[in-house]
Amino acid sequence: MTRRDLFHKWFIYTLGLLPVWVLDAYILPRYPLMGVSPVLLPLAVAAVAVLEGAYAGTGFGLAVGLLWELAYPGGFGALVLYLAVAGMLMGAVSQYALSQSFPGCLICSAGVLGLLDLLRVARGLLTNAAGLSELLQVAVPEFLWSMAWTPLVWLLFRAIYNRVGGTRLA
Amino acid sequence: MKDFLRQNGILLLVIALLLSILIGVFSYVMGGEADFLSNIATTVASPIRNGVAAAADWAEGVYGYMFRYGEVERELADLRAQVRELEEKVRQGEEASRENEQLRQLLELKERRRSFDLETAKVTARSNSNWESTLTLSKGSSDGIQAGDCVITETGVLVGVVDKTGINWSTVSTVINTETEMGGIVTRTYSAGVLEGDFSLMNQGKLKLNYLPEGAQLVTGDEVLTSGRGDMFPSGLEVGQVEGVFTDPSGQIRYAVIVPSVTLDSLIEVFVIKNFDITE
Repeated sequence: MTRRDLFHKWFIYTLGLLPVWVLDAYILPRYPLMGVSPVLLPLAVAAVAVLEGAYAGTGFGLAVGLLWELAYPGGFGALVLYLAVAGMLMGAVSQYALSQSFPGCLICSAGVLGLLDLLRVARGLLTNAAGLSELLQVAVPEFLWSMAWTPLVWLLFRAIYNRVGGTRLA
Repeated sequence: MKDFLRQNGILLLVIALLLSILIGVFSYVMGGEADFLSNIATTVASPIRNGVAAAADWAEGVYGYMFRYGEVERELADLRAQVRELEEKVRQGEEASRENEQLRQLLELKERRRSFDLETAKVTARSNSNWESTLTLSKGSSDGIQAGDCVITETGVLVGVVDKTGINWSTVSTVINTETEMGGIVTRTYSAGVLEGDFSLMNQGKLKLNYLPEGAQLVTGDEVLTSGRGDMFPSGLEVGQVEGVFTDPSGQIRYAVIVPSVTLDSLIEVFVIKNFDITE
């Protein structure tokens, strides 16, 4: 795969990320379901990591983490490292233990979202922001409503992968 | 995993770690001002954000016109009736004001003043996180907006407080956000408390008036305003109405659940109070 092919491939993935980001940041928060908006960016990292493996998953996770931290309010940096490490782990798990399939993506998405919500609940408890039941009232609906979007995100990145993914451009 | 190690995957992780630390340090040092990287990213994203907001507002307008025409007509009739009532109240108020002014002059009291230096701004995005309630505005530090400025609607209802400013954008922590903490007062009983956001109430679009005095007899529908204590925020801004009064599980603290008067989901334009001068 030439450098040009590589650039082309990741440009298409970036274009694929664009509608996910616009939906996640600007459209879905306008129409929350029972006060809850889904979180789509970790799903995009999970889909790409499952399809492209650990190295690409790390890079894509890093880029999505940067987008999340810089273009969204209230960031403090941790998501860049979290999504890069998550991308690496999901890529490795899908290569060795799971398969490049929708069930694999679903498991990885559940993992990355579940751990993220768990960390937020832990932070809320440590900072005495609220009690466990109140924090879970936010975390559980967010997790479930976000997971419902996994098929759509998977289909989008699967379509991109079928066109330019792996070493197809080589 | 071999590929990962062969392709310098560790280097990517080190870069991610360094970027995380860099962003963390910048956001800590800059406080209410957006750091350099966030400023660039959010400024670059501004056209997309503004475009999406404009398109969504237009689509909602068309939808409302096509499918909620009857509802809009009924609302218009109600509003006309309300305007008539308010005009009558304004006439009474003007008379009372004149009388008040005369009495103040007689008693040689200082004149009551209330002036705000306002900046209009469009709401271009709503919080995408379920863990906080924020709004993104179309104006920022280049228009003189600073962190800590209060944001109100055209009718003077409190929307929130500016949390962070960039060149042409700013984020507002809304009244229901868990970080909200300001003095509030119930107008009927003059009971003062602390207005606070709460995780379990935030997704219902409500907040708390905490630490109520023991003897406070509040009823549903009581109006709550900002108390303005500490001179950080202007006094007398409408916050909402009491929905109910409760005691926390420890049985020590009484609090009221407040339904904000602002409808955060349908806000399009707001006013930022850049400066205020209130003499009571």
